[in-house]
Amino acid sequence: MEGMLSKLARTLKPSPIQELSHLAQRCGAINLAEGFPDFPAPAEIKNAAISAIDSDFNQYRHVQGICDKLSKIMKQNHGLDFDPLTDIAICCGQTEAFAAAVFATISPGDEVLLFDPCYETYETSIAMAGGIPVYVPLDPPQWALDEDKFMKAFTPRTKAVVVNSPHNPTGKVFSTEELEAIAKACCTMDCVAITDEVYEFITFERKKHSSIASFPGMQERTIITSSLSKTFSVTGWRIGWAMAPAVFASAIRNIHIKLTDSAPAPFQEAALTALSSPPQYFESLRKDYEARRDHSIQMLVAFGFGVQFRPQGSFFVFAELPGDWISSDVEFVEALIKKAGIAAVPGCGFFHTPSDGQQHQRRYVRFAFCKSMATLTAAAERMSELVGITDDIIFRK
Amino acid sequence: MAKSLPLLHLLLSSSPLNSSLHLSFIFISSSPSVTLPFALPSSEIAKRLENFKTTIFTQMSSLALKHGAINLGQGFPNFDGPDFVKEAAIQAIREGKNQYARGYGVPSLNAAIAARFQKDTGLTVDPETEVTVTSGCTEAIAATMLGLVNLGDEIIVFAPFYDSYQATLSMAGARVRSITLRPPDFAVPIAELRAAFSEKTRAILLNTPHNPTGKMLTMAELQEIAALCVEYDSLAFCDEVYDKLAFEAEHISLASLPGMFERTVTMNSLGKTFSLTGWKIGWAIAPATLTWGVRQAHAFLTFATSTPMQHAAAAALSTPDGYYEELRRDYAVKKEILVEGLRAAGFVVYPSSGTYFVVADHTPFGFDSDVAFCEYLIQEVGVVAIPTSVFYLDPEEGKSMVRFTFCKDEGTLREAVKRMEKLRR
Repeated sequence: MEGMLSKLARTLKPSPIQELSHLAQRCGAINLAEGFPDFPAPAEIKNAAISAIDSDFNQYRHVQGICDKLSKIMKQNHGLDFDPLTDIAICCGQTEAFAAAVFATISPGDEVLLFDPCYETYETSIAMAGGIPVYVPLDPPQWALDEDKFMKAFTPRTKAVVVNSPHNPTGKVFSTEELEAIAKACCTMDCVAITDEVYEFITFERKKHSSIASFPGMQERTIITSSLSKTFSVTGWRIGWAMAPAVFASAIRNIHIKLTDSAPAPFQEAALTALSSPPQYFESLRKDYEARRDHSIQMLVAFGFGVQFRPQGSFFVFAELPGDWISSDVEFVEALIKKAGIAAVPGCGFFHTPSDGQQHQRRYVRFAFCKSMATLTAAAERMSELVGITDDIIFRK
Repeated sequence: MAKSLPLLHLLLSSSPLNSSLHLSFIFISSSPSVTLPFALPSSEIAKRLENFKTTIFTQMSSLALKHGAINLGQGFPNFDGPDFVKEAAIQAIREGKNQYARGYGVPSLNAAIAARFQKDTGLTVDPETEVTVTSGCTEAIAATMLGLVNLGDEIIVFAPFYDSYQATLSMAGARVRSITLRPPDFAVPIAELRAAFSEKTRAILLNTPHNPTGKMLTMAELQEIAALCVEYDSLAFCDEVYDKLAFEAEHISLASLPGMFERTVTMNSLGKTFSLTGWKIGWAIAPATLTWGVRQAHAFLTFATSTPMQHAAAAALSTPDGYYEELRRDYAVKKEILVEGLRAAGFVVYPSSGTYFVVADHTPFGFDSDVAFCEYLIQEVGVVAIPTSVFYLDPEEGKSMVRFTFCKDEGTLREAVKRMEKLRR
């Protein structure tokens, strides 16, 4: 029956992140692997969902109010005008918004540029549409964009560039100069930008997230995707959106309707409450995550990791195994689960460019700090107990 | 976890995704393509967009709102689901079950789905390897197509068919062979079916009980289909969302026939059975290898399904059979009101054994097309129906019929029937 699978399905491997999560669960490990919070979602938002279910908002629906609120937020935060009636499509999470954006713009044979290391899901959406992912490596340890490498990656078949900022797994927030360079290239090469901005409200040291859509010439050729999930700690609700010029948004809306018909109705209602949160909510979200970031970096550095690049956004630290640790990222992560009861993600799964000469691709581990301080404190304790008991795990030279 | 060849290399070496096959990408829409509001190079929008136009349902609903018409078009109830299911969702939200669920489903739901399937078909399935939870049956269909269908594969479908099939078949690049079910009884034309099957047939897509006609496939028809699937080693994709709304016949799952489980994906959902169409909880049941394909596509379409609703769905599916009996009884009463009313108004109503739809012939009223009749019905009579031509590859085949739904409360149905008395001349 294996021959009955589509050719595409046969090439796909299960999500390494999800598999490690299962191992972590089986070992009762502290899960710093998968990117979802272990603290509760804000009470007002949960209550809004409960109230929606009670008030019978349970049939197929499209809640136009979400588009109205998003339009206001984009104007306020980015100075961008989106017509709530035509430019915004509500989807089942950013995942579906991105998949629909890809189906709307990528024809078989089209090339799509992605910055490496890279979240694992993008390439498969692109492949499903018949597109070809082309990776542009960011330069460690600061994950800087090399403009030369970037421009060399364009061919006559390049249709789109994916911009994920704040970035998973590195926590990089693309700088103004970098976004300018990407914008210029998109305009010159007549390409579309598809963004993943799910961590847009989780940035540190007052670094503000800018959408590439706000750069000259870009709004007409950018599809923004984002969601409620990370901002409001409701990753299981599946409420996301795409914002783009009407012709793209309408295509995405139509594709979404054929893929899933509608996003969960009561959570659309709750989204209205979420998106009406006052500035203080976003401020304390930022501050709380910044404290968790600092705590996590401290924990990792104390253990011996290199953290040359402090995350500027997202809730991930991409920590480097020091030079004298000869285990690979995978070996390290497995041992960490078994010995310390802490789960993290080996970085190699995020790299897609050929690894010859690129030893660093096996030298990074991603830790998520979207966890309560109690969890992070417990993790730090377990790690500190390990310092000294290194032979089993680290295989120092 | 050694990293395999980059996906790019694997695709180029083993897949037909090269430029010459781009030309064999079949476009199966017979409707006009999307009109762009401003001039964009046509290369900017993928050709597949031709199949993703605004649906007829949205258009009719907008028109209905404008005229204050009673909506017997779109297939969702105007009454709500049972309290115990809603309570379960609320409890799940309160208990903090608001983060990513396991991609292929919350364990308690997978188990409940397997248990229900056992009761309904006698088949035992492994909830861990043979059940996948999706955002509604719509996504189960999309994931099945994308996970199990290659560019250029032949898929047999029965027309009229639910409108999302066409779009997802197009996304998968399938060649569609359509067999028309004709009134009055919409029976499967066996000779045509046999002629449609060949070595090139990857799968047959079935929907029973059937939207829009309400036809339910008989044992004899299913046996015929099964024999052909086995003979040509084809798969079967079965959309069975209305299985609990079977009135005049027993629902039979193709998967339960000899030789069929190993080649069938059986799809269903919570929405119709529990009047919670906006929750988007669906599932696909298939042997492990086929499930693998469905899960891969699902992971990149939506990644995971709404967590609190899954917990509530597990509670819903554990409901005793009395719930389903009452559901059928209530709907039978509604159906009676609608069908009587339509006949009295002058429609020719075709027999419908299942679902909450009936299809009726509108030609006694003298309109050229179903679309024209539906517009008249909204504007002058104040009732919405769906023109069935949208459910056919060739719209001409459906233009004498319209679809009504009776998933509305009795008061609404009686009011609609009263308004339609105006049609009697």
